[in-house]
Amino acid sequence: MTDQIFNWTRRGVLAAGVAMSLALSATAPVQAQTPPGVLIVGQIAEPKALDPAAVTAVNDFRILMNVYDGLVRYKSGTLEVEPALAESWEISEDGTEYTFSLREGVKFHDGTDFDAEAVKFNFDRMLKEDHPFHDTGPFPLAFFFSAVEEVTVVDPMTVTFKLNAPYAPFLSNLAYPTGLIVSPAAVEANGADFGRNPVGTGPFKFAEWRSNEAVVVEANPDYWDGASALQAVVFRPITDANTRTAEMLAGGIDVMVEVPPVALSEFEGEQFSVLEQAGPHVWFLILNAKEGPFADKKVRQAANYAVNKTALVEQVLEGTADVAAGPTPPAFAWAYNEALEPYPYDPEKAKALLAEAGAEGAELTFFVTEGGSGMLDPIAMGTAIQADLEAVGFDVKIETYEWNTFLGEVNPGLEGKADMAEMAWMTNDPDTLPYLALRTDAWPDKGGFNSGYYSNPEVDKLLEDARVATDQGERAKLYQEMQTIVQDDAPWVFVANWKQNAVTSDRVEGFELEPSFFLLLKDVVKN
Amino acid sequence: MSFFKLLIRNRLAFAGLIVMGLVLALVIATPILPLYEPNVTDTANRFLKPFEGGHILGTDHLGRDLLSRLLWGTQLSLAVGISAAVFAAFFGAAIGIVAGYFGGTTDNVIMRGVDMLMAFPYILLALAIVAALGPGLVNALIAVAAVNIPFFARNIRGVTVGIAHKEFVDAARLAGESHLKIILTEIVPNVIPVIVIAMSTTIGWMILETAGLSFLGLGSQPPQADLGSMLGEARSALITNPHTSVVPGVMILIIVMAINLLGDGVRDALDPRLRSGALTRPRPATLVEREGPVPAPVESGTLVLTDLQTQFRVGERVYKAVSHVSLHVAPGECLGVIGESGSGKSVTALSIMGLVASPPGVIVGGSAIYDGTELIGAPYSKLRSYRGDKVAYIFQDPLATLHPLYTVGDQLCEAIRVHHSVSKAEAWTRAVELLKQVRIPNAEGRAKVYPHEMSGGMRQRVGIAMALANDPDVIIADEPTTALDVTVQAQILALLNDLRRERGLSIIFITHDFGVVAQLCDRVAVMYAGRIVETGPTQEVLDDAAHPYTRRLIACVPELGEGRRELHAIPGLPPAVDRLPAGCAFAPRCDKAQTLCQVGVIELEGGASRKVRCLYPETDIAGMAKPVAQVPELKKGAGA
Amino acid sequence: MGGYILKRLVSAIPVLFGITVIVFLIMAMIPGDPALAILGSYATPENVEKLNRDLGLDQPLVARYFIWLGNMLTGDFGRSFSLNRPVIDEVLDRFSATLILAGTSLVLCAIFGIAAGVVSAARQYGFADKAITFAVLLGISIPSFFLGMMMILLFAVRWKMLPVSGMYAIYGGGDLPDLLNHLIMPALALAVVATGVVARLSRSAMLEVLRQDFVRTARAKGVPEGRVVWGHALRAAMVTIIPVLGVQAGFVLSGAVYIEMVFQWPGVGRMLVDAILKRDILLVQGGVVFVAACYVLFNIAVDVAQSVLDPRIKT
Repeated sequence: MTDQIFNWTRRGVLAAGVAMSLALSATAPVQAQTPPGVLIVGQIAEPKALDPAAVTAVNDFRILMNVYDGLVRYKSGTLEVEPALAESWEISEDGTEYTFSLREGVKFHDGTDFDAEAVKFNFDRMLKEDHPFHDTGPFPLAFFFSAVEEVTVVDPMTVTFKLNAPYAPFLSNLAYPTGLIVSPAAVEANGADFGRNPVGTGPFKFAEWRSNEAVVVEANPDYWDGASALQAVVFRPITDANTRTAEMLAGGIDVMVEVPPVALSEFEGEQFSVLEQAGPHVWFLILNAKEGPFADKKVRQAANYAVNKTALVEQVLEGTADVAAGPTPPAFAWAYNEALEPYPYDPEKAKALLAEAGAEGAELTFFVTEGGSGMLDPIAMGTAIQADLEAVGFDVKIETYEWNTFLGEVNPGLEGKADMAEMAWMTNDPDTLPYLALRTDAWPDKGGFNSGYYSNPEVDKLLEDARVATDQGERAKLYQEMQTIVQDDAPWVFVANWKQNAVTSDRVEGFELEPSFFLLLKDVVKN
Repeated sequence: MSFFKLLIRNRLAFAGLIVMGLVLALVIATPILPLYEPNVTDTANRFLKPFEGGHILGTDHLGRDLLSRLLWGTQLSLAVGISAAVFAAFFGAAIGIVAGYFGGTTDNVIMRGVDMLMAFPYILLALAIVAALGPGLVNALIAVAAVNIPFFARNIRGVTVGIAHKEFVDAARLAGESHLKIILTEIVPNVIPVIVIAMSTTIGWMILETAGLSFLGLGSQPPQADLGSMLGEARSALITNPHTSVVPGVMILIIVMAINLLGDGVRDALDPRLRSGALTRPRPATLVEREGPVPAPVESGTLVLTDLQTQFRVGERVYKAVSHVSLHVAPGECLGVIGESGSGKSVTALSIMGLVASPPGVIVGGSAIYDGTELIGAPYSKLRSYRGDKVAYIFQDPLATLHPLYTVGDQLCEAIRVHHSVSKAEAWTRAVELLKQVRIPNAEGRAKVYPHEMSGGMRQRVGIAMALANDPDVIIADEPTTALDVTVQAQILALLNDLRRERGLSIIFITHDFGVVAQLCDRVAVMYAGRIVETGPTQEVLDDAAHPYTRRLIACVPELGEGRRELHAIPGLPPAVDRLPAGCAFAPRCDKAQTLCQVGVIELEGGASRKVRCLYPETDIAGMAKPVAQVPELKKGAGA
Repeated sequence: MGGYILKRLVSAIPVLFGITVIVFLIMAMIPGDPALAILGSYATPENVEKLNRDLGLDQPLVARYFIWLGNMLTGDFGRSFSLNRPVIDEVLDRFSATLILAGTSLVLCAIFGIAAGVVSAARQYGFADKAITFAVLLGISIPSFFLGMMMILLFAVRWKMLPVSGMYAIYGGGDLPDLLNHLIMPALALAVVATGVVARLSRSAMLEVLRQDFVRTARAKGVPEGRVVWGHALRAAMVTIIPVLGVQAGFVLSGAVYIEMVFQWPGVGRMLVDAILKRDILLVQGGVVFVAACYVLFNIAVDVAQSVLDPRIKT
């Protein structure tokens, strides 16, 4: 008697099944390999903008470096500067005047000419508040060029930068993405929307930006340094590391950067190659030297002894980083102090130092971030560090924040809020990080990033001197001396120097990582 | 039955209770169990698989013991989920009660606010609250509780509005009691079951929500474990070490499932509507479970019932609604079946075509033969093809029996088209014709209206039209005029009478009103407590009823022209049919009852046309045995 | 009917207005600084202050609210500072993606939920009922993000049947089959909970209706049982089920946040989460007003559908 219902049920189930299988069979064949000649890069986030003057994140730099050129660039595989849009340059005796001879016949993607006026436009836009397009900012990294007093067009192919004082990192900063040259015509045409409609001179020209899906760039056939063999590059933002890994495994992307350490073992097979490149990165804990337990140098040193850095880099980070010895990463080979040995892992010594300082059981608040540029695996790292510190007798309370909120808490200084905070910097010159984050004049209230209020007049002096010294050998000596003092003062817990990594599929050839952390894709081939 | 008994009787809820009990026991015992420290890292032994290195569930990405973290995390997640539910319930109920109790502007303003909050995607609201308060499990708890307040408020307000206008609340108000006192003593106790139901069904949801926030990194702060953050932290290792994700994921699943089962059980146990098991679906045809052979029919006619027995089985109890009822109706004849409500007359009628709701109804014996075909136990397809086509029903209360969402024309068309393959247009023409036949003015227009747009009399005409749609041989009219006023009733009866004569219909007319029977029926059968107690030609029964019960029923009818006449209501109530007394079921209410009336089985006896089930009938009926002689003996015996 | 719709639309205005106030106040309450999102790691207090001045964030709250509201009424939702693009462009881009995802899920949950509920009720206590009840229980108890993760792991990584994430094949896709291919997993994962809720509710609504007298009337007419259940009873039960679909729309929109994160769906939910975290005030405000308006409109549509379905409701 329930035959009827049964019939209906069966029919319904059947219909649903048919509909589902139809949907599946109709769509299944679409699932195909990514096309040859089109390189799909898995990015860690949606770019903020594609205006080199407006962005700060390495993630955005990876795209920018392929769309724009600077006057100079880093020589492949090094952090040494070589000509790019400028064919050559001269530096005045006193180190305050740089004159660049520009490359002839270079055109922006919009067809306008690259010339001295364009260079001047770029720097004036960033530096001069009265420039008509200064309002297309803000330009957070403009201070890289704060030494520039005036940019002068000597002739259409010659431009001169006048500095207010000798500034050793100037050339290196020009090679940084902030120094990339944009098309003045495009800025004039698009105003504040330039960041979504970028025009440069680089090996790829911007094609399309689909919000949160992809940024597509296509090869520039007229590129002055030889056209790319690739037809196009697609940058896909995949914020979730797990999804990024899954995409890589499933063949949805060809290149993946910042591979999560735990996922590395998945890529051991033939069809993948894992690349690694140490770079100028340092991962550290800012200690609040102004108040609380860390005002005592012994306690700061104790923290350095207490953290098992080897376990962190070998296990938590799966060998994707090396133990850091001091504030300067070894990637700046010329400025790095080889004699420096990292604090050994020595919980007993840490306990002894704590006892000496009378700080046993000190309560600490530890700011941990959830992600962020160069922060590696911050929560796991923070948790492991917390456990290490607890083991020697600290009482550590973690507070986690999303990256931007985190910066909002940390950058204005830790005073009154926390005793320690995670931090990582990727820089292009040995000057940048210590100058911005270790000097007394770089305390937050003075506009710097010395959030832990470290202060040592000797270090201040060494850094000021190194900045204006024009001889690299002399600068190296000053930096090495600074590293020794800072290591001993222990304003930070020095933890790790990251080795940037990437995975490519076997269809990708000629892919290399740069010590600058940039991604240069011109010479990559995709089969 | 007590709440807990009900809860435990529900097997699923009981399973949920056991699982929850186990989880709770484990969680409470966590501090004393020999577990690893939940927060001590051992990075060299990270991602151990279950049972490796002495870790029953393995270790996580920092080498921490998963079992230990799981239990501590479960403890925290449960605590947070339950507290969030309690907070949300408390504040939500407070807001809802205030809005519902005071009504008017207060209500308007509050409910508008609630509407606004509900239009705000709750997860964003929770995120914003956490963003404002800072991360941390307590703040996540506050956020989850806060976003759920509107749901509780809305729910509780609805209930409160219902209660706030009840008499006892008005009485308390008139007595000058303060609002607070009324709310606390009159409203709250009545609202609490609803709050408990809402809470028990939302705790699971709250745990999921909190886990979601923790998953987004806004819940517990490392190294503290809760299920959501465990899942969130394990996520980056999902592909390489799925067990670290599966462990907390499955735990969430188990807990929430158990809580949901339990919540459903609590709801069922507290919701009075569900208590009697009323929410069961009736089958397409009444269940037939014969307890004996099919009886052979004695009488003849278009439709012949023999020894029909229908019961209602509710739990352990068996209500014998129809006991050995035999009826028959000839072509063109109208048989009246009369009795008080609960006498089994409607159930008898519905049993014929298997329309008694089942469960709880079961036909346990008897026969119903239409045109040579046995209907009791006939296959559904056979039964269906007769329903409406050969044997049609007219029901009481057409507002409930007509589909409220179809036009009457559509409903008539359907009645035709399920039995005859005619086009929609043809069926519609016929439907309009039918409406005309039952004397509905402006039939074309009326066909397009919905039942609620018609008057009661019109609706009943539609019901009759529907019964006539396929020219049936038998119409079973179940109190078709009870809901109508007297003039309309007279019209309907006249209509039925005309139709019967015009078409040679057999009608079984069920009513509790002898007046109606007198107007329409050729013969009458009187039912009491599931049995026929008297049957015979209408006029004979009316003139000289044999059963005392029949006499009482007749006495209930007011007669026109007789002026003010005392209506004799029958004292007492009909017996409950699950424990019928021995002997005559009417004996306890009968002023002529003797001792013998309450002993043994009393048969329906008499001649071919008149029969009565009484030891001491009011009048002599041919063919009855007389027990009178035995009475003095018994009395003697009683006296000695 | 037209008048009724108009009346409902007018009555939605104060709700939307209230929502603008709520979202504005919430964003004003959240500590943290939008300037930081713009300035990144290099934000100094000095820069932040200057930027806040440029963004007009130094003005009093009330003034800021009315400026925003006024601009919005003229169609100007302002500029997102974290994305460097007009809010309205971003919201429309992302909103369409969410509509596709949430809409599909809602349709799936309506179809499967109602069908499961009806079958379950029609075969009460039978095998189908027990199987469905269990599946539904499982569905409403599983965290959708966990389900999504597991789906990726199995269907995309292990069996390579479906793409892992995104809305379209990243290069050269963009047609309907491509979209469907990407839509299957997230839409299913999102629909599961709502389907469970709808199925439970449909089941009890059907049980309620199946006991009503008009169902007996339909049976007495000889209407085949299939039609009694899927026609008469379901039609009447829809009166109870449809409002629940309206409520579920809100849940689906919210649940989309997790699903969009797991599957990298370029939808508005993930955008709003990011925007809240980055303190991108105008983007949050614009996005929320949009989502809320959509929800309110959907519920008006539900009410209208309800009044079409049920002639007893006075319009």
